[in-house]
Amino acid sequence: MASVPAVRMTGITKAYGATVANDGVDFELAPGEIHVLLGENGAGKTTLMGILFGMVIPNAGEVRLGDETVSFNSPQDALERGIGMVHQHFMLVQDFTVAENVVLGSVSPFDLIFRRAEIERTVADAAERFEMDLDVGARIRDLPIDTQQRVEILKLLYRGARILILDEPTSSLGPAQIASLFAGLKQLSDSGHSVVMVTHKLNEVMELADRVTVLKGGRKATTVSKGEFDERSLARAMTGHDLPELPPPVPAAMDREPLLRVRDLVVHAGARLHAVHGVSFDLHPGEILGVAGVEGNGQRELLDALAGVRGVEEGSVEVGGRDVTGASPRQLRDAGLSVIHEDRHGWGLVLDMTLADNLGLADVATGAATSRGFVRRRRLKARARELLQEYDIRPANPDALALSLSGGNQQKVVLARELGCDPSVLIAANPASGLDVGAADYVHRRLLDVAAQERAVLLISHDLDELLNLSDRILVLHRGKILYQAPVRELSMDVLAMAMAGSAPEAA
Amino acid sequence: MATPELVQPAPEETPRGVPSVVATVGSRRAALLRLLASLVATMAIFSALIVALGENPIDAFDAFWSGAFGNKFNVGQTLMIASLLACTGLAAAIPFQAHLWNVGGEGQLWFGAFASISLILILPDGMEGWLAITITVIGSIVAGAFWGFIPGILKATVNANEVITSLMLVFIAIALGDYAISKLFPSQSNSTESVPFDRLLPNIWEGTLVTAGALLALGAIIVAIVLMAGTSLGFQIRAVGLNSNTARISGMRTGRVTVAAFAIGGAFGGLAGAIAVLGINSALVAGFSANFGFLGIAVALVARLKPWWIVPSALLFAALRTGSSGLQAQTGISSTVGEILVTVFVILLLAFGVIRLRYAEATQ
Repeated sequence: MASVPAVRMTGITKAYGATVANDGVDFELAPGEIHVLLGENGAGKTTLMGILFGMVIPNAGEVRLGDETVSFNSPQDALERGIGMVHQHFMLVQDFTVAENVVLGSVSPFDLIFRRAEIERTVADAAERFEMDLDVGARIRDLPIDTQQRVEILKLLYRGARILILDEPTSSLGPAQIASLFAGLKQLSDSGHSVVMVTHKLNEVMELADRVTVLKGGRKATTVSKGEFDERSLARAMTGHDLPELPPPVPAAMDREPLLRVRDLVVHAGARLHAVHGVSFDLHPGEILGVAGVEGNGQRELLDALAGVRGVEEGSVEVGGRDVTGASPRQLRDAGLSVIHEDRHGWGLVLDMTLADNLGLADVATGAATSRGFVRRRRLKARARELLQEYDIRPANPDALALSLSGGNQQKVVLARELGCDPSVLIAANPASGLDVGAADYVHRRLLDVAAQERAVLLISHDLDELLNLSDRILVLHRGKILYQAPVRELSMDVLAMAMAGSAPEAA
Repeated sequence: MATPELVQPAPEETPRGVPSVVATVGSRRAALLRLLASLVATMAIFSALIVALGENPIDAFDAFWSGAFGNKFNVGQTLMIASLLACTGLAAAIPFQAHLWNVGGEGQLWFGAFASISLILILPDGMEGWLAITITVIGSIVAGAFWGFIPGILKATVNANEVITSLMLVFIAIALGDYAISKLFPSQSNSTESVPFDRLLPNIWEGTLVTAGALLALGAIIVAIVLMAGTSLGFQIRAVGLNSNTARISGMRTGRVTVAAFAIGGAFGGLAGAIAVLGINSALVAGFSANFGFLGIAVALVARLKPWWIVPSALLFAALRTGSSGLQAQTGISSTVGEILVTVFVILLLAFGVIRLRYAEATQ
């Protein structure tokens, strides 16, 4: 690092009220390097990058670009100095074309109308220069998510960004898409661009990073260069302790009667017919069955249908030998099925209710916590205290509102409620998404526990590591059909990636 | 752990679109300050209006105050109107808690009044007064509940928009009331025949027109408090209102909760009708409801849908009503000015954030 760093941030401090998001953080970015910013949720990564991008004004500290001290008041300032950020949720106009989105903000609206051909040519040139394969005339809403991301990056490059910040760029991508994103980022760094990638996924660090800065609790834990770190040491730096290995899955009782039997299931999704297109599988006691697939290939509809909140058009579903095709959530629950929905806020919790109420939702619904039409408050609270303790939920205060909890603790509340019903079948969709390493590990252990108790888990996930680590068997959904399935021990990441991309491996 | 990350990952499919009323922001004291601020601003605008009409605002306020609380009799009038508003407030508040927009309190009030006058005049002459009253009050509650049940069942089964259906039913109920006045039980004046004296709710405060209707309203408040705080149904109404997805996936029968919440709201509206007929007007009088059903919505919102807060909220709106009558009596300023006053007050309540409509997605 002999040359002048592209960015040097020193002593960055930012507090929100009593909470200190960044506490004297130093961060350095060399020209042409890929620097990964790693940390659990709430470690201060997004705040630090928000400061670099001018979205957040720090309380103290200095930001230097090259030799010059700068202070940004808005993202516009940062963009003018060649810093661009790709947010987790893209800032694209869905009804505009690629070219229009790329030039948006740098040309006047009149130009967009009258110089369309010229603009498209310029953008096409730019795409070619950065070796991006893009149809500049396509509308954003018709493009897959990874292409949209590429448009975001092109937009920044087109405006002359030399420093790119990517916030959790892989969170909604499949493995093939991630590989192509990483290839693109490496190419950019070769051509002298500096890249900061914010993530909490360790395997991505190993693959991509020239250097890693780990944040923990708002402070910088360490900065290490390639070759000086491995996943273990990074995990330790992130969490402050070693995570023990997950216990090996208990072999499933494949010879016993399945707990969940799905046959030729067809589910519609609004106007798009056949979101799930004749899916059949069995889920045996002690089994964790993984469902993989690129987002939007029928996982959500499968989840909703099995949870009883979306109609089953054809086929049948049996829980514990009982036909529950088209049953209501209540009937499914009575049959022994519990659901951990992927949308924690929308379908998992009532954010404005207390923890005791949230933990007791199902008990009130089924009457387990009521008598003569009245809620048995004392019982509800006592049960909540039990669960809060058993699942180590913080704060362990049954009167706290669910919205005041961190994501990890919120997910534990859902987990506690659903497992507290003693289900024979648990449907878990992206149960660890958005959680930090420690909380994700906790959720995974609980799922393994469920299987170890001769119950069964259907794990729908877009996190391949999660699927490979927990499942006994994985099936790959592609365009609403099971394209491929195999026991995990016969599977590799590559095969899985191929299947998800739609090319069924030979063995299928 | 509690460090706020700047860009929160937004939940993918939070229910959105319909606003909910939530009282989470700000402390109770801040809420009261806001309420005071909107009262002061209302008075300022009111003064300006009075000056523009060429009157002295001080005199106007004096007249206003004496109209609402000036003497025992007027306090009694305010109490009776507050009783009506408390019931129509509950008619709005309970469905609102379930995230159902019952704007048809006016219709439930009218239908309850229609049932009241019909029952009390039809019940055989020989029947004991108290028995006739009891049957009529219960009948009105059931009638109101039925008027609420209709939009509820339409919402639960075919997802018909409850704002439209409950509002349409207002017009039918008013038409029925007018039918009772002009055809079923006509009299010389612009009302139905009078209710026999022994079948009226008894007076409970000498020197005023306060009747047992006020006690019925108080009872309704207590029932609502117990319902929402203690019962399984109240719990489910809250859960469905705050997040019907989660309630449903947790096994609650959201359709039944919808119908129940609407019917209960309607029942309170129906009770208001009985109080009006048996406890205030002694007949079904044309235009007896000065939009009391619609004002109930404002009463409920100012009370932030909490049953016990409906008491002061209803008193406040009742005082605005009786105050403007006093204004007309003493200064000759049209009581329309009083109508304007109430409207301005509601708008300012929104402006000052006393009433908050919040979208579910803005929880974070």
